[in-house]
Amino acid sequence: MAAPLRSGIGVGSRQDTRAVHGTSFQKKSRGKLVSIPGTRPSVQNGQLLVSTGVTSLDYVIGGGLAVGTLLLIEEDKYDSYSRMLLKYFLAEGVVCGHSLFLGSARDPPEEILQELPAPVLDDIGCAAGDEGQAKLCDSEGEDSMKIAWRYQNFPKVQTALAASSRFGHYYDVSKTMDPEMRQASKCNTFFLPDELPLKSEAEPSTMNAGYRALLRSIQNLIHREGFDTAAPQNKSRNILRIGLHSLGSPLWGDDICCKESPSDAVSLTSFLYGFRALLRSSLCVGMVTVPSHLIQNRAIMGRVTKLCDTAIALESFRGSERETNPLYKDYHGLLHVRQTPHLNCLVCEVPDTKDLAFKLKRKQFAIEPHAAVDLLVRQPPSEPPIEPPTARRGRPVRDYMCNCKSCSPSVCAMQPGSGRGGVGGGGELLSDMAGI
Amino acid sequence: MLLDVIQCVESGRFVIIQDSVQCCGRQLLQSFMCAALKREEVVHVLAFDVAEEDLRVPSDSGCAQRLCFHDGYTDPLGWNDSPPLTVLQFSPGEIHALLSRSEHPKPVTLVIDSLSWVLRHHPPAVVCQCLQELRRGGAVRSIVALLHSDLHQQGIVGSLCHLATAIVTVAPALRGHHTVAKTTRRTRSGRVTQEEECFIIKEDLTVTVQKQTHHPGQRDTEQEEPQADPAAHLTFNLRLSEAEKEAKDKLSLPFVFSQEKKSALLQPRPGAGQIIYEPDANDDFDQEDPDDDLDV
Repeated sequence: MAAPLRSGIGVGSRQDTRAVHGTSFQKKSRGKLVSIPGTRPSVQNGQLLVSTGVTSLDYVIGGGLAVGTLLLIEEDKYDSYSRMLLKYFLAEGVVCGHSLFLGSARDPPEEILQELPAPVLDDIGCAAGDEGQAKLCDSEGEDSMKIAWRYQNFPKVQTALAASSRFGHYYDVSKTMDPEMRQASKCNTFFLPDELPLKSEAEPSTMNAGYRALLRSIQNLIHREGFDTAAPQNKSRNILRIGLHSLGSPLWGDDICCKESPSDAVSLTSFLYGFRALLRSSLCVGMVTVPSHLIQNRAIMGRVTKLCDTAIALESFRGSERETNPLYKDYHGLLHVRQTPHLNCLVCEVPDTKDLAFKLKRKQFAIEPHAAVDLLVRQPPSEPPIEPPTARRGRPVRDYMCNCKSCSPSVCAMQPGSGRGGVGGGGELLSDMAGI
Repeated sequence: MLLDVIQCVESGRFVIIQDSVQCCGRQLLQSFMCAALKREEVVHVLAFDVAEEDLRVPSDSGCAQRLCFHDGYTDPLGWNDSPPLTVLQFSPGEIHALLSRSEHPKPVTLVIDSLSWVLRHHPPAVVCQCLQELRRGGAVRSIVALLHSDLHQQGIVGSLCHLATAIVTVAPALRGHHTVAKTTRRTRSGRVTQEEECFIIKEDLTVTVQKQTHHPGQRDTEQEEPQADPAAHLTFNLRLSEAEKEAKDKLSLPFVFSQEKKSALLQPRPGAGQIIYEPDANDDFDQEDPDDDLDV
């Protein structure tokens, strides 16, 4: 909380010294875009990134979503987790003060917005409760601290960053967001059954009426609110987050889910083409969920993936035999990274491992490399004991380390290590030292 | 769980009963109608597949008033004059008009027998949009529809089931007169539960669940044996008696000072050290939530 103040002072003093010494040195000022809240430049290519609302997903797709790009989420079978990701994406926009646009054909957008998860903001009430906490420690902690009593008079230190200055937040899915907070952000909605009667007469177009109305609505919003990069730069800029739910489902009037050779196979792809063109020339970032398990023709799904920049697929264990598989007992599903964007470069960011699994916890949507690593340590008891490798046989070491089908050799070669072990140990050490 | 689905009164629910040529689901549909009538609900039936007599449910006079048949069976395409219901009338506006014709103003349960016939005459996308519109409209509290899933392409069945809040797939059991129902239910919050049950429908159309054939998730708990208490047979003493506890409390630990000395040391002195910590973005802060195992 003190950081903005301090930096303010710093800037002031630097200007003073410059005035005194009169040097020509000027600090290279950052671009205007960086000042938009909730964004940060990418470390790889300098693109302006925004968070998806899920910190671990940001990491998997290379730091975040670049402004002007489109994220495709292939829905899980029952649309539970993909809907959750959409809500995280919108909630992150609310917390960062971005504008929102939500398009849906199934549930009214207002309903989805009401279900946004509550952010875990640890700076709320901290300023007020600071002194109170210190006093509390004074009175109560007297007998509770036997060994490390020297610390009982110290005020509690805030270990987490102030939430507003962070990139990406955590959300508590067991609570919904405060309506006041939600209404503070500008939110536009598009609900197909409400919009469609207003449509003009059938025009010759490659897109069906629903998509056309949606694209127009987005285009109007971008021009009206000045999100396009061609707009005059004088006023403060903001990001528009566009979330579209279950695109391609029959409720949008699309029949790619129903038939192998649909009558308007190009409807969705033309929409995405137009949508991406809009995104590229504006300060917008899009998230689209598509029920890919219903789409019969894989070629269409391939085209849809190509038209999006980043593509991930969720595969929930719910209802499949994997639910009871001990290998997956710690997770709710698998996450496949289908595509990462090539932005202003020839090669794309490649994730460390492709065997990712997710778990929806109360305060976190966790994405981790799944149990393949554990298999190295714990072999299932039914398996016959594996002989140690001998140089004579000349078998590659990798072969015997893991004999599960699901993991690739690259994962098996990976060393188990979460990089987390040291922290707890350090803490204990500190408290031990305090007593002595 | 099948009984829960039958008795569910949540508004906006949409149940699909999937049957095939091996096993007919119409009797189960009738039990859904029967249960709704017993709950004092108004039931409208769009009958395309069979005649009204075959879909009748045994009921008293009060129930008969609340049950309203729309006959789409005798003249499904409107070739004669003034047909009661044609399949071409399957659109939100027309159905709302049909429902408002009856004198009961209460929200109704709409029973469709069957969606397969409707799907023969309308594009699947239109059927999906119509069903969704009906659910949202407010005049219809719940929709129960029969679908002969072996008549359609997998994509069409999948698209319809994507909209449903509950899907009951019936199949013949290996032996006896039972029928196996595989029920998938989706709650508003996105939680999905699945169960497979054997059931019998009695003459008065009440459903009795015989046994649960398969319960995913239960198997794990059964396999776990009760853990033996590791502190049961020890050669040394792990517990303290009262007297021992007292003696332990009396013992003064090193560096634990008397109250006075402590408070003297705790007084802030000039020149004493101070800890200043400012959190930084690169800090390795553990976000793990200790209460994660609690129910989300």
